[in-house]
Amino acid sequence: MIADLVERLRALIAPGRRSRDLDEEMRFHVERDTAARIAAGADPETARREARLAFGGVDRYAEETRDASGVRPLEDLAADVRFALRSLRRNLGFAATAVAVLAVAIGATTAVFSVVRHVLIADLPYPQPDRLIRIYNQNSPTNIWALSVVDLDALRQETPIFESFGAARFTSVAMAGAGEPEQIPVARADAGFFATLGVVPEAGRLIAPRDEPPGAPAVAVVTDAFAREHLGGPAAAVGRTLTLDGVPHTVVGVLPQGVTALAGMRVPVWPVLQLPTPTRRGPFGYRGIARLKPGVTLAEARRELDALSARLYPLWQSGFKDRTAHFTSWPLRRTIVGDADARLELFAGAVVLVLLVAIANVATLVLVRAQARAQELSVRATLGASRGRLARLVTTECLVLTGVATAAGIGVAAVGLRLVGILAPGLPRADEIALDLPALLVALALGVGAGLLVAVSPLTGVLGGSLTAWRGDLRRAGGGARTNAVRGVLVAGEFALAVPLLLAALLLGNSFLRLERVNPGYDPSRGFTVSLALPSSRYPDSTLADFWRRAVARAQEVPGIVAAGLNTSPPPDNGGDVNNFNLVSHPVPDGGAEPVAPWPVVSPEYFLALGVPLVEGRMFTATDTGTGPQVLLVSRAWATHYFPNQPVLGQELVSGGCYTCPRSVIVGVVGDVKYEGLSGNGEGVYTPLAQNLVRYATLYVRTPGAPEPFIRPVLAALRSLDPQMPLAAVTLQDGLRQALADPGRWTGILGAFAVAALALSALGIFGLMSYVVRRQRREIGVRMALGAEPQQVAGLIVARGMRTVAAGTAVGLVLALLEARWVAALLYGVAPRDPATMLAVIAVLLLAALGACLVPGIRAARLKPLEAISGDD
Amino acid sequence: MAGPADLLPGTLEVLVLKALSLEPMHGWGIGQRLDQLSRDVFKVQQGSLYPALQRMLRKGWIRSEWRVTENRRRARYYLLTPRGRRQLETETATWNRTAAAVDGILRLKLADL
Repeated sequence: MIADLVERLRALIAPGRRSRDLDEEMRFHVERDTAARIAAGADPETARREARLAFGGVDRYAEETRDASGVRPLEDLAADVRFALRSLRRNLGFAATAVAVLAVAIGATTAVFSVVRHVLIADLPYPQPDRLIRIYNQNSPTNIWALSVVDLDALRQETPIFESFGAARFTSVAMAGAGEPEQIPVARADAGFFATLGVVPEAGRLIAPRDEPPGAPAVAVVTDAFAREHLGGPAAAVGRTLTLDGVPHTVVGVLPQGVTALAGMRVPVWPVLQLPTPTRRGPFGYRGIARLKPGVTLAEARRELDALSARLYPLWQSGFKDRTAHFTSWPLRRTIVGDADARLELFAGAVVLVLLVAIANVATLVLVRAQARAQELSVRATLGASRGRLARLVTTECLVLTGVATAAGIGVAAVGLRLVGILAPGLPRADEIALDLPALLVALALGVGAGLLVAVSPLTGVLGGSLTAWRGDLRRAGGGARTNAVRGVLVAGEFALAVPLLLAALLLGNSFLRLERVNPGYDPSRGFTVSLALPSSRYPDSTLADFWRRAVARAQEVPGIVAAGLNTSPPPDNGGDVNNFNLVSHPVPDGGAEPVAPWPVVSPEYFLALGVPLVEGRMFTATDTGTGPQVLLVSRAWATHYFPNQPVLGQELVSGGCYTCPRSVIVGVVGDVKYEGLSGNGEGVYTPLAQNLVRYATLYVRTPGAPEPFIRPVLAALRSLDPQMPLAAVTLQDGLRQALADPGRWTGILGAFAVAALALSALGIFGLMSYVVRRQRREIGVRMALGAEPQQVAGLIVARGMRTVAAGTAVGLVLALLEARWVAALLYGVAPRDPATMLAVIAVLLLAALGACLVPGIRAARLKPLEAISGDD
Repeated sequence: MAGPADLLPGTLEVLVLKALSLEPMHGWGIGQRLDQLSRDVFKVQQGSLYPALQRMLRKGWIRSEWRVTENRRRARYYLLTPRGRRQLETETATWNRTAAAVDGILRLKLADL
């Protein structure tokens, strides 16, 4: 057994040497024999002849010996591979096309597989990730919100089911460092947060319980990347000081290399979370995560949290009337992945469809080549090559082709994964995506699978036909009807696969155009925004109102400015400032869930600055201050929702569950602005800045024309108020574009897939009909000689092609009906089975196919009958 | 055509094993020894030795090494392995049994039945 293996390996590793050895051995044999015969008295000439005779055919025995060495199949394979490579080199155009098409398809599929596996399937990169949960407040299936300090304190006591509990708050701070001060995202976290996740620092230590009491020295943990970029490396970073919102933070530790996000928060700096003493149940803005004790199920956790909610409710009832609100727990994984799965599944499906179209397309290319080579194959068959041998030759060629494509495809996948950050910036867990061994195995499997699938077409199309027929008529070798039937099925299949792709792309495109046409509620062409943040370290509560007043005044003093005003919830993708409220005239039952609405806090000039019209009542004025009655403005959509056909002005409501606070009264109705995305409904309730303590706001500046010339003077005016404040301006147009960027990217990617599939399908039918015309030249010539009009001939060809296309499209429509589930989540204002879009898909496909069939049709019509009949194939 | 066809299938390999059990030899030597041993009863075409040797190498009955002959030529010598020696014993026993049985049958006369 081992001897066998060694002998075979030896034969395989050094075939040349083995062959030389055998030659030498046999030559020695004959020479030795000759010498013996001469010694026995024969003359040299006779001796040599007799020795040769006694030995027999040298070549024959050399061949038999090689066969006996057991490496023959492998040697044949090597020969086949060499042959395949030579033959591909000879047909460089064909090979390059097929390899390029397959490489892109295999590469894209491998990349998407990596993304899907790491984002949707893989465990979170923490020890025992199944036990990690995130905790929210919830009062209805759709209304879920974060935790308050009160909640955190209560949950921290939940030791019977939690092994550990931690909290973090996602926010942004002004970081003072070299050059311009910079606004950076941070997540303030407590010791429990890191302990719960099981993070081990690369250098230094993490946040510890002793850092948590208010007044303890402020510390921070930074990512490895941040340490390298700003602090001179992980080791040097520990002990350095970062000034965040004016407070010096000592860097105590560095997260491990490669960790750029924790529990779904991608921030470079993790300052300590020091919680204030609560005075009421809210406000809510903290993320709570917990590690369940071993053996505790999610259901048990939910029961325990319900009980805790019930115990907690009466303690803070005075300021929080919603008895239906309770803690809910979700697997941490689910909360990180969020709604990315619907998009990724659609995306993965699309990529697989493109791959299948590509395989079908390359299969037709290979089939054409097999037909062109039918004579060669036929000669080989005649010379005695077995059908199995020929099949192996053809299969090897296909596998070599897809093998080269796979190697290139892995490169494409590597590039593709680098582009993930650009193509899908919001993708969760993006830092975990890598081109790893499973991905390479998938690429390999795709390559082999594609090779075998591609090989099926020449095997059934050409070799499946009668070999004897080839012998009979070499010129017509390659089996006409059978081959064309196989190609017809392949091309029809391409169209069938293109339909769902095209439908998804057109639906997304349609939806995107609708989003683009949505009126955001303001004119984006003339204005810009500057977001401002006032850190508590430098701005005590008493100074806030004064700063905002002066900021607006300074901006409005800039010559040419139409108006400037402040708002805490920038449209169209409001940062999440929603508030619950209860209508005094028809309240929700006691303890019931209150409705919520976007809740921008604005200065009086905001509406003028954004160009929002007053519908009825009055705007805010300078007299709406903390000492006056609490006043509100509502949007028209809000008014019609809650007070249909009733007067709105003068209606009162309780906001934020504060039943002891003075009630707020509605003093005016203004135009709708989209705060909850462009697909949102335009509802909104406005409260005056002067009646709220606000540390973050966006300054809206209205310009008489294009905003760009005014940006620099306005920023200069603001900087004169506070030189330390990080400032950056965004035009309204850019802000709106930002809101459209994500749907735009998805539409673009799917559109590219659809165009690729459409182009390949059209190429397929074009190739098929061109071949039909070439093959049937004589028949066409005879028809024309017998009086057929050129139009008739062209019509015949086109009709034949369109029958194939129609069959494929019909199958594709059935496939398209199945995809609605995945597409629906991404659509706005258009149904996933929108009949008009379906018709458009059919029209686009048929038109593309018609164009592709017309070229060979016209070529057929232009044939000169005589030449066609007498000409050679 | 005289040659392996005249040998019972598998016989050539047993004969080679027997020849090599005496001493390591190169291909020509084995051929000479076979002629000599069989007293020219079997006419083996010399070339057919080589595929047989290759098969036996794979079975692990023999191994080969390049040596220098008495005439200072490089030649490939074949050696019996322990496995080959066992194989020779098995084959010899089988052969003896078969030969005895066949011999007995061939000597039969009607009267013996």
